[in-house]
Amino acid sequence: MPDLTIDIHDVAKTYRGKIEALRGIEMQVHAGEVFGLLGPNGAGKSTLVKILMTVIRPTRCAGTVLGSRVGHKPTLARVGYLPEHHKFPEYLTGGQVLDFYGAMADVPRADRRRRADELLETVGMTKWKKKKVGSYSKGMRQRLGIAQALINDPDLVVLDEPTDGVDPMGRRDIRDVVKLLRDQGKTVFINSHLLSELELVCDRVAILVKGLVRQQGTLDELAGGDERYEIRLSAPLPPTGTIDLGVDSGLISIDGRTIRVSTTDIERVQPVIAALVSRGIAIHSMGPARPSLEDLFMAAVESDPGVGA
Amino acid sequence: MMRQTLALFLDAYRELNARKLFWITLVLSVLVVGAYACIGINQTGVTILWFQMETSPFDSDMVPPRLFYSFIFSFLAVPFWLTWIATILALITTASLIPDFLSSGAVELSLSKPIRRSRLLLTKFLSGLLFAALQVVVFTIASFLVIGIRGGSWEFGIFLAVPIVILFFSYLYSISMLLALLTRSTMAALLLTLLIWFGLFSITVTDDMLLSMREARVMEVQIYERREQIQIEGERNELRRLEALGEEIPEGELANPLLLATREQLQDRRAALRRASRRTGLWTLLRTPMPKTTETIDYLGRSLISMEELEKIMNPAGDEEYDVEKTIDRRARGIMRVRMGFDDPAVAHRTEVIQRERGFGWTIGTSLGFELVVVGVCCLIFSRRDF
Repeated sequence: MPDLTIDIHDVAKTYRGKIEALRGIEMQVHAGEVFGLLGPNGAGKSTLVKILMTVIRPTRCAGTVLGSRVGHKPTLARVGYLPEHHKFPEYLTGGQVLDFYGAMADVPRADRRRRADELLETVGMTKWKKKKVGSYSKGMRQRLGIAQALINDPDLVVLDEPTDGVDPMGRRDIRDVVKLLRDQGKTVFINSHLLSELELVCDRVAILVKGLVRQQGTLDELAGGDERYEIRLSAPLPPTGTIDLGVDSGLISIDGRTIRVSTTDIERVQPVIAALVSRGIAIHSMGPARPSLEDLFMAAVESDPGVGA
Repeated sequence: MMRQTLALFLDAYRELNARKLFWITLVLSVLVVGAYACIGINQTGVTILWFQMETSPFDSDMVPPRLFYSFIFSFLAVPFWLTWIATILALITTASLIPDFLSSGAVELSLSKPIRRSRLLLTKFLSGLLFAALQVVVFTIASFLVIGIRGGSWEFGIFLAVPIVILFFSYLYSISMLLALLTRSTMAALLLTLLIWFGLFSITVTDDMLLSMREARVMEVQIYERREQIQIEGERNELRRLEALGEEIPEGELANPLLLATREQLQDRRAALRRASRRTGLWTLLRTPMPKTTETIDYLGRSLISMEELEKIMNPAGDEEYDVEKTIDRRARGIMRVRMGFDDPAVAHRTEVIQRERGFGWTIGTSLGFELVVVGVCCLIFSRRDF
């Protein structure tokens, strides 16, 4: 297996009417990692996923998926895909859905049957196997969708909004499935707008803004240089105007009961603690922190002129 | 390869199976066959269940039961039930297959599978013919049994209805698929397909009329040619008679005013024939590239029932007006008026002969050509579209 499961350069898509959905995407997804794609609405995430899945034809595209050029149909036998807002034929039962899409993915009959039972077990849908999809709830359809994406034992799994409309328990189950896939050495590509979800499972992420990749890397890489200490107080600081906390005020930001000190040097935090203690302000907790994915995301999006304007 | 094709066909069957209309149509089909099993023919005439009707000379001596049932099958049951009512039901049932397949959320699942788009659509198209195929197979088997049991003859020929009806439905379904691709709407695809179908039907009816009118003109020309011949003959006999009597011979045969009038009429009729031929030719040219829905179905009757057998049914009493030669002769001698209408039995007879001569190649070949182009355009649109 090549080291890069997805390696694309200069992927662009201009829809009729001159709408530039993608303006030259560069993206690398390593084999065996869980990769998160994020971006605000209209950034082109769905377009990118659909190009990789040959649902949309790119205007320009160089690069490979699983070592073959993008759009190479036979390669799709090794790819599993859960489309956003997918609709299964309502006249089929869960078992029939897996059998049908398994056959479409060219999986032999015996393998299909065996895997269908295993996967229904994995996603917790065994007792719904013989029930019609029409009677499924949103969360159940999503679980079945994930099973469908895995019926061909793919090397690459692409999940478009997998937790859409799923309750918290279902989300945890889906996260567990993703972790299981990672443990099996599969590459998982997730497109989601639920940042906290991605944060929990992703090894690497790319942030897409207005058809371009703003940032790409591990969460640590993205947070690079933005590590800090957070001091939580038991009560908000009294509004006594400016308080001298003993360090350069440029390093400090106060947000309610939380004081953030932008430094990686624990020594530089000591004067702040001393100042707080000397004023009799009780410290609840303290420790190093790194920006959440949400912070990184907001920073990336807001740094782009014109977005949110 | 085979795996995906089989899966798509199985899916098409399950989809049909889930639709009430599919089963309703099937039950109605069986009822139709049951209804014509109630009709019989014996030496006294036609029977309906145990009611005897006196329809002599239309009886089993003139029309053997085998022919009677074959005729009902290929001229009544198939053209009226299978290709009108059942086809409308089939179009209603299958109109949503392609729009559903293309709907967002569903199409991505199929497109992201290792199958080429054109093959995907082609298989989807063929599996859409399953409805018509199942209906016609059930209907034909039931009819086969009825003809076998009631008519006393095992007519394997009627199984020709299976490919013919599937073919006929495929023309319409290809149009429906193209419209579904263009509009993505079930309603639009269905209504426009029905509209186009009725359009094609009217074109065929117009063609029949034009053809009949031309044949009427052809017969008129033949009548006047015959009359001219008769008059020349009469003139010569008269001359010979006069010669024998030693009487003076008048100035030339052309002086005969009756013959002159006939020749004038002949010129006039020939001009009319040229105009009619031009119209018919133009119309034929116009409809050559179009699918021939009606004629494809008519092919079934034409191959199951020969011209002679058809005459027996249409003209059991043996009326002379059905005979082209006799009609020309009688009218040329002035026994009947010369002008022919397109509804004259002799004209209908000639038209039927010509339509039979058009044959399989022209009817099915040009229709298949049309279908191929439509399906090709569909594949092109489908392969290039973003979903």
